Amino acid sequence: MTIRIPLKKEVETEIKSAKNLKELDQVFKKYLGKNGEIIIGLKSLRDLPKEKRAKAGKELNILKSFLEKELKARTGDLEDKIKKEIKKEEWIDITIPGRKPSIGHLHPLTQTKRKFEEIFQSMGFSVIEGPEIENEWYNFEALNIPAHHPARSTFCLSLCRTFYLKGGNLLRSHTSPVQIRYMEKHHPPLRIIVPGRIFRNEATDAKHEFNFYHIEGLMVDKSVSIANFKAILQEFLNKFFQKTIKMRLRPCYFPFTEPSFEVDIECVVCGGKGCSTCLGSGWIEMMGAGMVHPNVFKNVGLNPKDWQGFAFGMGMDRFAMMKYKINDIRFFNSGDLRFLQQF
Amino acid sequence: MIFSYNWLQSFFKEKLPKPEKLAEILTMASFEVSEVEKRGNDFILVIDILSNRAPDCFSHLGIARECSALLNYKIQIPDAKLKEDKTKKARDLIKIEVKDKKACPRYSARVITDVKVGPSPKWLKERLEACGLQSINNIVDVANYVMLETGQPLHAFDVGKIEERKIIIRKAKKGEKISALDGKKYELDNNILLIADQKEPLAIAGIKGGRKAEIDKKTKTIVLESANFDPIVIAKSSKKLNLRTDASLRFEHGIDPNLTESAINRVASLITEIAKGKVTKGLIDFYPKKVLPRKIKLDLNYVDSLIGAKISEKEVKNILERLGFKTKKIKTQLIKVTVPTFRLDVSLPEDLIEEIARIHGYNNVVPISPIAILIPPVKNLDIFWEDMTKNILKDMGFTEVYNYSFISKKENDIFNFKNLIELENPLSSDYQYLRASLIPNLLKNVSKNQKIPGEIKIFELGKIFRKAGEKRMLTVLMSGDRFFEAKGIIDLLFNKLGIAKVWYDDFGPTPEESKTSLWVQKKCAEIKVNQEELGFLGEIFPKILGRFKIIGKVVAFDLDFEKLSRLSSEEHEFRPISSYPAAIQDIAVLVPLGVLVDEILNKIQIVGGNLVRDVDLFDIYEGEELPEGKKNLAFHIIYQAEDRTLSSDEINKIHKKIINALEENPEWQVRKQ
Repeated sequence: MTIRIPLKKEVETEIKSAKNLKELDQVFKKYLGKNGEIIIGLKSLRDLPKEKRAKAGKELNILKSFLEKELKARTGDLEDKIKKEIKKEEWIDITIPGRKPSIGHLHPLTQTKRKFEEIFQSMGFSVIEGPEIENEWYNFEALNIPAHHPARSTFCLSLCRTFYLKGGNLLRSHTSPVQIRYMEKHHPPLRIIVPGRIFRNEATDAKHEFNFYHIEGLMVDKSVSIANFKAILQEFLNKFFQKTIKMRLRPCYFPFTEPSFEVDIECVVCGGKGCSTCLGSGWIEMMGAGMVHPNVFKNVGLNPKDWQGFAFGMGMDRFAMMKYKINDIRFFNSGDLRFLQQF
Repeated sequence: MIFSYNWLQSFFKEKLPKPEKLAEILTMASFEVSEVEKRGNDFILVIDILSNRAPDCFSHLGIARECSALLNYKIQIPDAKLKEDKTKKARDLIKIEVKDKKACPRYSARVITDVKVGPSPKWLKERLEACGLQSINNIVDVANYVMLETGQPLHAFDVGKIEERKIIIRKAKKGEKISALDGKKYELDNNILLIADQKEPLAIAGIKGGRKAEIDKKTKTIVLESANFDPIVIAKSSKKLNLRTDASLRFEHGIDPNLTESAINRVASLITEIAKGKVTKGLIDFYPKKVLPRKIKLDLNYVDSLIGAKISEKEVKNILERLGFKTKKIKTQLIKVTVPTFRLDVSLPEDLIEEIARIHGYNNVVPISPIAILIPPVKNLDIFWEDMTKNILKDMGFTEVYNYSFISKKENDIFNFKNLIELENPLSSDYQYLRASLIPNLLKNVSKNQKIPGEIKIFELGKIFRKAGEKRMLTVLMSGDRFFEAKGIIDLLFNKLGIAKVWYDDFGPTPEESKTSLWVQKKCAEIKVNQEELGFLGEIFPKILGRFKIIGKVVAFDLDFEKLSRLSSEEHEFRPISSYPAAIQDIAVLVPLGVLVDEILNKIQIVGGNLVRDVDLFDIYEGEELPEGKKNLAFHIIYQAEDRTLSSDEINKIHKKIINALEENPEWQVRKQ
């Protein structure tokens, strides 16, 4: 009785030449499987004469542990190789453009309006709206612009370019009528802003529309002052443009405020150096404002001796144009999806 | 208005700042200078005079007074050194009668004899031309010069040409005509004020002179007019005649009646100098109601409070006095201010505070945060629901558009809207009516955008207008044959707005309505909540699409947003999730083509009761394999109880009951699978 003890070298070659895990498994089965040569050999040891038994057993066991070690190492190698191959197959070109889900777009003026509302609401201003069809009283007379007042013909010419409707009403040419409507029903102290669509009968170009948006502000209390207006407005400008904005007040004339002023801001395009947006002046006129005229208080049944307040009105389109660097106001009403879908 | 820099300089001994610098100073103090331009050895400044300052600042003197206050320079007003010829009395040479003293509160006149009409000296021509006026002759030029200097329009008539040497100020008679100096004939009416002689008009008061008593080379004796007219009368006449002149512009804004005298004396004095005339004795002056300076009490605490800064009494007085006001202390913190009559714009303490603030400098007022009660702003529900709706539609892939509030006559003819509001003065016929629906302009948007690849999904939320009033509408448009997608969007929108029980009703237009219907018949529905109609859903009629050159189909829905926002609710109740398993059974029903899905759904729901958690339509099939006139509808029925696991016996029992109920109708057949 003899036991065949496989040659170490032979075994080693077989393990190394196994190309994959399956072939490696066959090597395992051949030697270490149930009927593997080494397992059979070990089982047959007891049939050997004593003197041979020890030697053969030792050799077999050495070979067995060698095999186990080599198989394990080879398995690791093969597994790594497989992993690498898998990785190679799953490679993607990450520069292929992503697939965007289809979502919609809100109009830039809606977004601008929300920004205004958010900032002013944070300072305690309520948002109020009013009708687009108005009458002479609310649009003019209650605001201290009586018929035939020279102001009606020359002051702020555009305000008086009003659209009249058959039957006697008109389309509001500013949002200020809502000041009157609100104060008729609400007693001061009050803080409101009024966003809304307004209409002026004038030819359109890149800077003018006949159908556009204003936002009105009004704060009335016991001792509201010009200094207060400056503080509120500065806060608004800084928040809207998300940087510190330099502003200046220039005296002006509006029948419904006294004193009255216009607010210029340092051009946000050129930073005040002078460019085509600010026509070289470094400043851009952004709004009209002033302290509520005593006649306006009287017209809503308030005693001007008891109350002081500021009011302002500004073009929302203008702010949106500045913020998004839009060069033509007519885009807003164009319905052009190539424009709208950028927002 | 154009101003000459050299002319302004002539009021001061001190040198004025350079033109650009002066322009900046004026701009920051009410007088926006829009242009500075070199003209020969002069500069012109184009200044936008605010309308409330027109009465005193449509003149070099007015702007010079401002410069004086701003620069703290002493102003030198040119005085009229008038030497009268005592031998002749003006009254003997001309008579003045004012018939309408409301329209003409003051009429001052002087007569000058022995004038030599001729060309003006060079300096005078230059001044006029710098300001954009043409030189005519020395008499007319001097009158214009003094107007530019003082703001008082003046006129000269040839006394020799005035019938019976009498000037009458009266309203015109209807149909009366005048040949004016511009060579045109004007037909007048009885609202227009005239300067006339006994026979005919000599001038349209405050607007334009006439040919009749025109100054010419032969003129020897002239009468100068320096009058004050009612601004409204002049404004209306000017508008009526469509004639605006340097004079009418000034009168329309009102002028200080006390100015006529100094201005006429200034003209007379210059005429003696330039045209060698002799000024006859006496100023003829019709001035029945002398205007006196206003007096205003000014509380200095109020000054500080309105400006929001402490302005010292000394500074207040200093500013006001530099502007020509007089001040007098009454008691602590209270002064009396006398307003010069040329400041027609100042009548209230607030007007004085404006003067103080602008000269003090708005930019020197330090911002101070207001002290106010901490009241949170009131939530505006209208805006809240608008924002919410817009967000939901945006999330569903729609793009928001804004359109004009107007539609054209042509567009209206397509839709034949009733009770439209028409504009009295439309910008053009494209915008003749207020929109009564958002649909026409949205269809224009579709038409315009259809060349761009991709589907069109747009919406607008805006006001529409009818004679009954204005209201907000929400209109959504989609290109393509997508009725059910649109319906699903409405369902989802209502769900998100917390409105339950939306349903769709057949829309049966009257024969009259159907002729002009916007919607394809039988492919539209009324959107209802309970019994209230909220709007319409449907496919737009192809003929209408054709008018807008739209290719393919368009589906739209149109909702009354006022109703929608009233029904919306933020309340949302959680429905418990059953911890017991659900079982799904399918059912297919073969029914005649005209049967509504709703009929089957209702039957399943009624029979199944609350053990049927949900029913889903998953297939509609009409085809060759089916019997003629039939369609196959397939549903998933989800059975679930909230309090127990349903046994298969129990489910089979209900399912069988449903099948039996459906088959009660002999034309309905449940298909066995």
